Amino acid sequence: MKTTLLHVVPPVSRDRIISHFPKWYTPEACLQFKDHFHAQVRSACQRQNIGAVGLKISKVVVVGDLYVGKTSLINRFCKDVFDRDYKATIGVDFEIERFEIAGVPYSLQIWDTAGQEKFKCIASAYYRGAEIVITVFDLADIQTLDHTKQWLEDALRENEPGSSFIFLVGTKKDLVSTAACERTELDAIRFANEMQAEYWSVSAKTGENVKEFFSRVAALAFEKSMLMELEKSNGRMTQIGAGNLINIERSSLEASETNQQDNLSCC
Amino acid sequence: MVQLRLAAWAEVQTPAGEGLLEPLVSLSLLCFYSLGIPLLGMQAEQHQEEEEEGEEEKEGSGGGCEPEGAFRKNPFQLTVEDVYDISYVLGRELHKISSEPRGEMAAKVAHLQFKVVSVLEMLEALVNESNLTVEALKMERDSLKREVEELRKQGSHSAAEEVSLGPNKMVVDLTDANRPRFTLQELREVLQERNHLKAQLMVVQEELQCYKSGLMSQKQHPIEPTHKEPAVGSASGSSTGSEEKTIVKRLFAFKRPR
Repeated sequence: MKTTLLHVVPPVSRDRIISHFPKWYTPEACLQFKDHFHAQVRSACQRQNIGAVGLKISKVVVVGDLYVGKTSLINRFCKDVFDRDYKATIGVDFEIERFEIAGVPYSLQIWDTAGQEKFKCIASAYYRGAEIVITVFDLADIQTLDHTKQWLEDALRENEPGSSFIFLVGTKKDLVSTAACERTELDAIRFANEMQAEYWSVSAKTGENVKEFFSRVAALAFEKSMLMELEKSNGRMTQIGAGNLINIERSSLEASETNQQDNLSCC
Repeated sequence: MVQLRLAAWAEVQTPAGEGLLEPLVSLSLLCFYSLGIPLLGMQAEQHQEEEEEGEEEKEGSGGGCEPEGAFRKNPFQLTVEDVYDISYVLGRELHKISSEPRGEMAAKVAHLQFKVVSVLEMLEALVNESNLTVEALKMERDSLKREVEELRKQGSHSAAEEVSLGPNKMVVDLTDANRPRFTLQELREVLQERNHLKAQLMVVQEELQCYKSGLMSQKQHPIEPTHKEPAVGSASGSSTGSEEKTIVKRLFAFKRPR
């Protein structure tokens, strides 16, 4: 069922409006130090007809061992809930989170993948086209940190080199003491640097750093895609944002599904 | 007649290896007594003997297993009973000979009889021993046969399992309700459909939010007031004939009974 209507979206909630560039978690492992948007991006955003139909959507893929809290992290951010009971994700799930960044509507399509080995070949079909890869580990289980390299490798294999922002996230911060957290963070920061990733420690249970983290993800992804868009449309003078959110969403979803078809032979 | 018997007897006693074994408990000897055959030198009335003999022969020919039968048997199938039969027959023959009137002859026969008895005792011991051994070996063989049979069954079972399984295979309990039964492709399709529906739901939820917040006017979308929208189908009656094709309306139209 193709949707041809002009999709009118409600305004985003206040806490999804990002006007200042969100700060990093630790300067020892961060993707960039700037505290403001790129000048080109800022001026492009000012020209933009604010409040118009959705502009851009970026694909986020969340990977990591089972039971590290990928789904909990996403649910805390997207639904502001925390379920104490563990329920393994079947294959993949997704959420779409809308933002308004520098006055421009922007969405993250967040793919939550199953950590269980048996679903790996289903979930891996959704890795392609990830603008952001979030590798998650459990701060209370150091082994899960060791496995992040493999998860990242698998995710990047499906993507153009250098096309994705990489984040390394330690979850369950509430479960470890400050001292233990700091010790683990030393290892994690080393890992992050090797992976060329930005590091964050969060707690889905208390919500600590969750919103800050995703705001950072959204801002970085937004800026990057804006710059790419500007580069592409340079000379054509095409106005950014002349698009249809639903079509973008749908084509994006369909792309993932097509990818799956392509990857059938992988299992 | 006597000569013939002795010849047959000689054939039987030859493989026993005279002189190699010491005479043991004299069962053969007892047999001579028990059959009522007096040893040489003992007094017995000849008439009585002859009568008995006649009876024996009658019974023997009728039953087909007369004592003389033991002489014709395969030496490896001899039983202790056969040895007793042999000793009976020999005793009877010797008795006949010793009953002849010649005194010197009687003494020689008596001498021979003791030798015969000792040979028969050796034979008895050998037959006894060999029969016991044969029994034990037969039992051993049967139990080994059963063991081999069982091992063969087990072997063929495990071999069959290995053949049907091979590496990277697993056994599925068909009675288990939670057994794996859907293919990866089916799971993929279900997930795709779920993702598709979830995306549609998101769009619908956003539109609903628009209506609720009054972003879309009644003019644009002449649907019933927002609080009625969740009520299935019936609330959309007023939108009939509308040209607009929102997802919300499509969904509502879909549910309306035709």
